[in-house]
Amino acid sequence: MYKKILVAYDGSEGANKALEAGINLAKIHGAELVALSVQEGLPRFASTIDEVQEEKAYANQHYGKLLEKARARAQEAGVELKTIMRPGHPAKTIVQVAKEGKFDLVLVGHTGLSEVWAAFLGTTAEKVSRHAPCSVLIVR
Amino acid sequence: MEQVWYTAAAWIGLAFLASLISIRLGISIALIEIFLGFVAGNLGSYFGSTIFQPNAWINFLAGFGSVVLTFLAGAEIEPETFRKQLIPSLTIGTIAFLSPFLGCAAYAYYLAGWNPQAAWIAGIALSTTSMAVVYAVMVETGLNETELGKLILAACFVNDLGTVLALGLIFANYNYWLLIFIAVTTVALILLPAVSRQVFARWSGRVSEPEIKFLFLVLCGLGGLAVTARSEAVLPAYIFGMVVAGLFVHNKILMLRMRSIVFALLTPFFFLKAGTLVSLPALIAGFGVLLALFWSKMITKVLGVWPTCRWFNMPARETNYTTCMMSTGLTFGSISALYGLTYGYVTQAQYSLLVTAVIGSAVIPTLIGQIWFYPTQAGSLDRELRQYVGTIEHFLHIPEE
Repeated sequence: MYKKILVAYDGSEGANKALEAGINLAKIHGAELVALSVQEGLPRFASTIDEVQEEKAYANQHYGKLLEKARARAQEAGVELKTIMRPGHPAKTIVQVAKEGKFDLVLVGHTGLSEVWAAFLGTTAEKVSRHAPCSVLIVR
Repeated sequence: MEQVWYTAAAWIGLAFLASLISIRLGISIALIEIFLGFVAGNLGSYFGSTIFQPNAWINFLAGFGSVVLTFLAGAEIEPETFRKQLIPSLTIGTIAFLSPFLGCAAYAYYLAGWNPQAAWIAGIALSTTSMAVVYAVMVETGLNETELGKLILAACFVNDLGTVLALGLIFANYNYWLLIFIAVTTVALILLPAVSRQVFARWSGRVSEPEIKFLFLVLCGLGGLAVTARSEAVLPAYIFGMVVAGLFVHNKILMLRMRSIVFALLTPFFFLKAGTLVSLPALIAGFGVLLALFWSKMITKVLGVWPTCRWFNMPARETNYTTCMMSTGLTFGSISALYGLTYGYVTQAQYSLLVTAVIGSAVIPTLIGQIWFYPTQAGSLDRELRQYVGTIEHFLHIPEE
């Protein structure tokens, strides 16, 4: 049923559960599996380009390591995992990548790394489920 | 009597707090430092504490911070991109500088009733465009890698060059010291790329960091000469950055080391100091002028940049976006306003209004451009579907290389 599955991955407990679910679903459906890490928190209104470049390099390193682990986990389970990193707002970027890549399922963990903010502003999962162009599975 | 270590601890503590807030909120460290400096400075004044009042050594660190910041900004130009987009970037950048420079100075002089020197400072501070603010916006969507993105960045660079030239030349004493300064700077700038290349090749990578000391030596030497001529140290710093920009493209480790020194020790003092001098009572009393200064910048930027972009056949949406981006400002605006206050060209009240208007211009046009005028999506998803590995090579690789 599902041909392209997108897993939103930030290394949190919820994201790891979403990855496991994604690996299982990809096996069942023979689907293409892609993990997306959104680089949150690059400095807005920066004073120098250096500031942006260095934060971006840090984010590349941090999320690169996370995605490498995710790919190793998928490989263990016999599934090929492709990876994407993008800077931006998490929910907005996940929805945008889902649209651009014509994914038919998006998997997100119930809670990510920002629980305190989520209590006030709503979780990324809630926002993705409202705006995604395809089915969304919120993994608990 | 001032106990220097307590003062240092208080300022560095504030800088540390600013770093934590900046990381948490994803907002530039400069803005947070200015804000915390503003809060600390005003609370200090209210409670009669002098710990957050700039003194001689803080002034030196802040001044050196502004010079090195300017040098790094000059070194940010990609010479190849600049050559490719020479005519449009020169035209858009020059007009983006001249229009608000003259327009805001005219507003400050004729309508706000500021004296001529204060009006020129207003024109200079509000003429700027923040290349870094623009770059940060573009990185989020890959626009910095497109031709449009590179054109906008090159135009920002030209705009800031105009600002630095105005700051360095308008208030200079036109005497033999200025001639000496110009002559020495010109000769130095012709020779420095080759000399720097030799210094980097021969001594870089050593623990005593001779290449960084060499850069600091040039910045201090030329800065000293500039100040003697009543010009401004940021002028030779920016041009020095420009002429050695090509060397930094191939020497990312040196750039990383420079950044570590600058962001850890120098720029916190510059931005915190810029914040401590902003007076809350002055902002309240001059709120109307503050709004007028902000809108003077926005209107004159639109009047200058929008038709120029259209003249180069830029599509409407891209024109609107470019206009918003060219209306931003932060670092050079703050440097110019602080220069005016340091030399007594503007009062603290005028300085407060200028810095706040500059900060407003960092935020508001950026948000407008991103929300309403963002150009068609840059980059494709296929390009991104590749493997990422978190190695040290990866860390040292700058995506824009």
